[in-house]
Amino acid sequence: MNPEETQAFEEKIYAFIGRENGPPKKGHDAVNEPMIRHWAEIMGDESPVYTDSEAAINSSKGGIIAPPSMLQTWSMEGYSMAGDFVQDVQRGLHNVFDEHGYTGVLGTNTTTEFFRDLKPGDEVTAHTVIDSISEQKATARGIGYFIETVTTFTDQDGEDVGRQVFRVLKFVPADGDASASSESTDDESPAAPTRIASPRGHDNGWWWNAIDEGKMLIQRCKNCQTLRHPPRPMCGECQSIEWDSIESSMEGEVFSFTTLHYPKIPGYDYPLCCAVISLNEGTRIVSNIVGIDHEDVTIGMKVKGNIEQVDEKTMLPQFYPAQAGE
Amino acid sequence: MTTLHFESINVGDKLPAKEVPITSSLIVGGAVASRDFTTVHHDKKAAQKAGLPDIFMNILTSNGLMSSYITNWAGPDSTTKKIDLKLGAPNLPGFVMTITGEVKAKNEDHGTLEIEVTGENNVWGMHMQGTVQVQLPKGAQS
Amino acid sequence: MNANIKDKAAIVGVANTEFSKNSGRSELQLAAEAVAAALDDAGLKPSDVDGITTFTMDTSDEIEVARAVGIGDLNFYSRVPHGGGAATGLIHQAVMAVATGMAETVVCYRSLNGRSGHRFSGGVSGDITTSDAIHWGWYMPYGLLTPASWVAMFTQRYMHLTNCTKDSLFEVAYTMRQHAASNPAALFYQKPFDRAEYNAQKKIVDPFQLYDCCLESDGASAVVITSTERAKDLKQPGVVIKAVAQCAAADMEVMTSFYRDEIAAIPSMDIAAQTAYSQCGLTADDIDAAIIYDAFSPIVLWQLESWGFCKHGEAHDFVMDGALRLDGRLPTNTHGGQLSEAYIHGVNGIVEATRLVRGTSVNQPGKTINHALVTAGVGVPTGGALLGTMDTL
Repeated sequence: MNPEETQAFEEKIYAFIGRENGPPKKGHDAVNEPMIRHWAEIMGDESPVYTDSEAAINSSKGGIIAPPSMLQTWSMEGYSMAGDFVQDVQRGLHNVFDEHGYTGVLGTNTTTEFFRDLKPGDEVTAHTVIDSISEQKATARGIGYFIETVTTFTDQDGEDVGRQVFRVLKFVPADGDASASSESTDDESPAAPTRIASPRGHDNGWWWNAIDEGKMLIQRCKNCQTLRHPPRPMCGECQSIEWDSIESSMEGEVFSFTTLHYPKIPGYDYPLCCAVISLNEGTRIVSNIVGIDHEDVTIGMKVKGNIEQVDEKTMLPQFYPAQAGE
Repeated sequence: MTTLHFESINVGDKLPAKEVPITSSLIVGGAVASRDFTTVHHDKKAAQKAGLPDIFMNILTSNGLMSSYITNWAGPDSTTKKIDLKLGAPNLPGFVMTITGEVKAKNEDHGTLEIEVTGENNVWGMHMQGTVQVQLPKGAQS
Repeated sequence: MNANIKDKAAIVGVANTEFSKNSGRSELQLAAEAVAAALDDAGLKPSDVDGITTFTMDTSDEIEVARAVGIGDLNFYSRVPHGGGAATGLIHQAVMAVATGMAETVVCYRSLNGRSGHRFSGGVSGDITTSDAIHWGWYMPYGLLTPASWVAMFTQRYMHLTNCTKDSLFEVAYTMRQHAASNPAALFYQKPFDRAEYNAQKKIVDPFQLYDCCLESDGASAVVITSTERAKDLKQPGVVIKAVAQCAAADMEVMTSFYRDEIAAIPSMDIAAQTAYSQCGLTADDIDAAIIYDAFSPIVLWQLESWGFCKHGEAHDFVMDGALRLDGRLPTNTHGGQLSEAYIHGVNGIVEATRLVRGTSVNQPGKTINHALVTAGVGVPTGGALLGTMDTL
């Protein structure tokens, strides 16, 4: 879209702000014990005030109540949602977005406040307003706009019993996102992600292969005996291309370290402590420090490494604080 | 099941972690219990058309799991006042979601706690993150 | 080794596109817009250009940019590697071409949709297919994947060995933001922060919180360089290139040079600084203002040491005296830097350094600026340039 088209589009969408989504929506059923029991069973909510009338009467609640998070459930449309979309104002707004390429939709936030406990017999009505639409945002999903609807829930006396702000992102899906995989008939659930592996080439594959066998090696020049890590094809001291290796003791000390918090890359556990370790042999290696709270790691701390399977696919050196006396 | 008292809780207290295996049964059951018949929560083909490999959990179930995590800890006389929930990666069948919580603040006047709750699944990471405001009784009644 | 390039070439035109989170157009278009605007600033026609330099990382091919802008025959084109380390490398290439007569007028550009397109903060991944994949392989399995994490490793060591604390990291980030707050082109225009807001930001990688890390943004910057003789007749007062140097010091890795005896310093910049000073005979005392590459707050501290504004390990004290502020010893990143104006890989910094010497910065310091320093990204092979007024000839 050029700036003029964007402006015209934004005028259209912003005209929805403040509009009611439709007439107030009254729940098909009053708050009732069977639906509460059904919910509590599935959510694993063990509180007796939802399902045990005797315990509920003796509690501070004075009788059965509905789980607060069911609030929205009482006025849900139900089975018709499986058919064509309900044609309400919000759907109309989404259509405007869809027509302009903002076909992606993602619920991003809900903020729900509960003003009182609901009890069997209460009748809930939802009043929904399109409250705000953000300026254009660049998000991880793509360029889009956040739409906030506000629903006020009232009871049979017209009193407010709760309020929910619902935030949805309408966005332009990145190439190869939803549309590309729409034909997927893959029956496999996605596998748990693993750490990103090093590619293995001529100059480094032997080192990783040894890790897979439980050994951490250090490359050594055959001519001048100088150790080097990371491996490289020629000795910088004497230019020899002849080399062998020694097995490392995996003992050393922390030369520097840092703890990663964000972004969280799938396959790794955070906070994640990475360190540059000076090995007793004289070379350095980057690895993780584990077995200690990351806040207790210090520069100069003695460490001892093991080669471990850290996930389904990955063998990796991991370093622990050395035991006293080691 | 007993109810915790406001005085016995300190800022920084951590709630016991809970692992929730995500199954098709849980996803469909949660969707139906919340009367949310949107097809992506019970029809795998519809979910695949929306770009995901399988059906995925609806937002009401995420809210429900977050809220249950708190009530199971706080007890029957607690009152949930507010749930502020941010959604991340979807929950799909076969995943395991681990829910953790930490008390972030106490409001003496209202007897409420602010508890930060996170639900991370083992495949795609953060599924939900939020704050639950819960009111606990004061004093020594049990 | 002493190159004879002092005063041979001058910057005669500069421009930035607007900076944004979503430019809504291609990187090629941004590049063309910046180049055309820089030529306009110089009072030159596209057909006056016969050389082009850019980053190896830039996605806009120089001949596509030339064709888009209407530049004619090119006699000289080259690219500089290593991300932000290339920033002043563009000048380095252009000056050599102009000084040797290989080219007469060279335009340097960098264009990126760094926010709406590829974002660097996501780090490297298994998808890399370039030749440095094996290098990243020593770090990826452990999760050391992001630029912030690589720089943090040096920072923790530096803070361990010196008196540097979060106070000086804050002072750097705060000062850059103050400058951006009064720069209408900056993404953080009118958005200053205080210590409480800085402290409240999310943790990224210890010791960095959000405001210690640069922006990600869309935009392009361009610089036009020609001979000093020709500069005398052009529209703007020329800004003379007194010196320009680059260096990849021994035992270098891209962003992960963890294997040197000590890592609490950046030898590549130390050497580039010595080379630049020896080219022109200037010293740190002659430098009136600086644009110091600031992808992360602490890297400003190390470069102050490299360029001799303070001794090694003493940058904390230097900045805590307010030296980087507009009324300080060395007004720095008067545009807001990459922490707060925009992240155009340092080329927006060359634009600002030129404006400081012209006397036209939006935050022009009160004192006279005869000489300004501008540097390139560090952690990678890097460099810097010293600029001066025509009066310094």
